Amino acid sequence: MRLPDLMATGWTEVWAHKMCSFLSFFAIAIGIATFFYTLSILSQRYSRLGQTAKVAGAGRVETSTNHPLSLVQYQDLKARLPEGSSLALTTRNFNISNGRWWNTLYHRGNKLLGGGVRGILPSFKDADFVYRLEGRFINWKDVENKHRVVVMTVFPHEVKKAKKRFWWDDEEGVQLVKDYSAHHHLLQQQIELHHQTFTIVGILHLPTESDDVRLSRNREDRPMFYIPYTTWYDLYPEEKDTRQVDIRVVTGKESTAKAAGRSLASYLRSQFGVDEKPEIEFFQEKMEEHLTQARKSLNNMLFMGIIAMIAGGIGIMNVTMAVIFSRTKEIGIRRAIGASRKDILFQFVVEAMLLGLCGSVAGMILGYMAVLHLAEDTSQMTFSWWVVALSVLIALVTSFLFALYPAWQAAKLKPVDALKNE
Amino acid sequence: MVIAQCKKLIKVYPGAQDFRALDEVSLSIKEGEFVSIMGPSGCGKSTLLNILGLLDEPTGGEYILNGVPTQRLSDARRTELRRNEIGFIFQSFNLMPRLSVLENIALPMRYTNMPRADILPRARELAVRVGLEKKLHSTPLQLSGGQCQRVACARSLANKPSIILADEPTGNLDSKASAEILTLLKELNDGGMTIIMVTHDPKIAQGTHRIIHVKDGKIV
Ligand SMILES: Nc1ncnc2c1ncn2[C@@H]1O[C@H](COP(=O)(O)OP(=O)(O)OP(=O)(O)O)[C@@H](O)[C@H]1O
Ligand SMILES: [Mg+2]
Repeated sequence: MRLPDLMATGWTEVWAHKMCSFLSFFAIAIGIATFFYTLSILSQRYSRLGQTAKVAGAGRVETSTNHPLSLVQYQDLKARLPEGSSLALTTRNFNISNGRWWNTLYHRGNKLLGGGVRGILPSFKDADFVYRLEGRFINWKDVENKHRVVVMTVFPHEVKKAKKRFWWDDEEGVQLVKDYSAHHHLLQQQIELHHQTFTIVGILHLPTESDDVRLSRNREDRPMFYIPYTTWYDLYPEEKDTRQVDIRVVTGKESTAKAAGRSLASYLRSQFGVDEKPEIEFFQEKMEEHLTQARKSLNNMLFMGIIAMIAGGIGIMNVTMAVIFSRTKEIGIRRAIGASRKDILFQFVVEAMLLGLCGSVAGMILGYMAVLHLAEDTSQMTFSWWVVALSVLIALVTSFLFALYPAWQAAKLKPVDALKNE
Repeated sequence: MVIAQCKKLIKVYPGAQDFRALDEVSLSIKEGEFVSIMGPSGCGKSTLLNILGLLDEPTGGEYILNGVPTQRLSDARRTELRRNEIGFIFQSFNLMPRLSVLENIALPMRYTNMPRADILPRARELAVRVGLEKKLHSTPLQLSGGQCQRVACARSLANKPSIILADEPTGNLDSKASAEILTLLKELNDGGMTIIMVTHDPKIAQGTHRIIHVKDGKIV
């Protein structure tokens, strides 16, 4: 019998035994839903981690020190790093919040609360730069001359109500800056930070939270005001809690990351004494941690998927057996009028595979809904064709394998014996 | 020309006590013959017919169909022979309940490599030949017994067999429908078809060329 005929027959029979078929179909669907969900998340997470690594820069090494580096030290350190490296120094984040009156931010007499201020160098731009820049960025002239200029972040319009993450977070204030920046043209305006007037020379438009591929710890969770590294120390004189500086090196090549790490550590030790024990973080290692973690949780889900598929397969097997039992006579008739063993085998296998196919379609719909409602980050969900294809393939292979034995039993029946069955 | 020839066919059903259902049956059927087989219940008529139709294998003896010795043929070869050379008509019709008349008649052709486009037209032709042109799309449940058996007759002709085997084709029918089926079989026989029919009804058997009497697995 040819495939179209087999399919037509299979379909009639599946339809004729609706309830029975539905149960095994359902089992398959659940298995496929689990698979689909897992695979979708897997593909999404991998592609996202790839993008994360790309914006983070190759050969990225990070550390921090409690000794603010001078510009001379900056040049000195940069010279020791591999050729072509980018070196960025960033002061710690100072929060503008209600509790600290001297950090209050004013714009045209409007008192805005919430946000953070960091001192940066132009090389800040060399990695993790996911923003759309309006106006200009901090340049070396600003740094050398301690200009009172600021580049501020603006959250995209669709930002949800800010979450309160830390006790010092001023929920209301954060929202205020967000709303304010969304509705006012701030470029070239004056604002007041720590009783000093600054000019907004640039606006960094943040991507939506879902388009922001940076690791979450590198994202701004509140409005940020980036000012020149040197200016920052005028604003916040060196105190115990203003001294910390984050150092970020991007060599551009993964192979030179280790060397950069060593130079960094030895330079800090040479400058600040043996007590300085900088913790050198290699971004690549971080990424690998993320990947292994992702793999672990996905393996667990895949395991559940496999269990569900086996359950589905047993369902298929059970249905096929029941169907064959109730249709032994039919097998006899078909054999009498010319069906070969292969024809009988294919008939039941195709029937089971049709069930599997329907199950996989239903399963994918179910899985898709699961992704939409359960996954923490759905924005990047691209339903790649290979996930769909693989899900269908898994369903077909499972139904094929589990239907094979009962179908083979059916094919083995002697025509006379099958015909005698009522 | 001899179309089917049996030499000392033996069929033993194994069990606690082996049962010899056919005991050295020798028989030859010529092309174009219309033969009926009669005998008491349990004498082995169906057993014989099943072996002739390659649905079952004999325990011993030889069976040559259309010049092909059928012992030691693979199941695939036996199926091929059965598909192309033999048409079956059963007492209980044995139609597919979910398929239409047309599809039931077409079913044997679905197992051949006949061009798909030719299948339904031929099925329609056969339906017309057995007088069912008005019932093409009914299912067997919507037909009378006599009509069902006519569908079965049409189906048995689908692959242009060289022999038709009918096991009590009128067993489930009243006398009027029985007569109709017999007329149909006679028409087919007049067209050159070889037919072997098992029947309990002497009147029906009388309409055939030759009556073979079987008793306790032997031809008498
Ligand atoms: N599968 C089997 N196993 C054991 N014995 C069987 C089997 N099939 C048939 N028999 C026995 O073989 C004998 C012949 O059976 P068969 O069906 O050929 O009879 P029959 O002549 O067709 O009878 P009826 O006129 O009632 O249809 C019977 O006595 C029956 O009990
Ligand atoms: Mg019988």
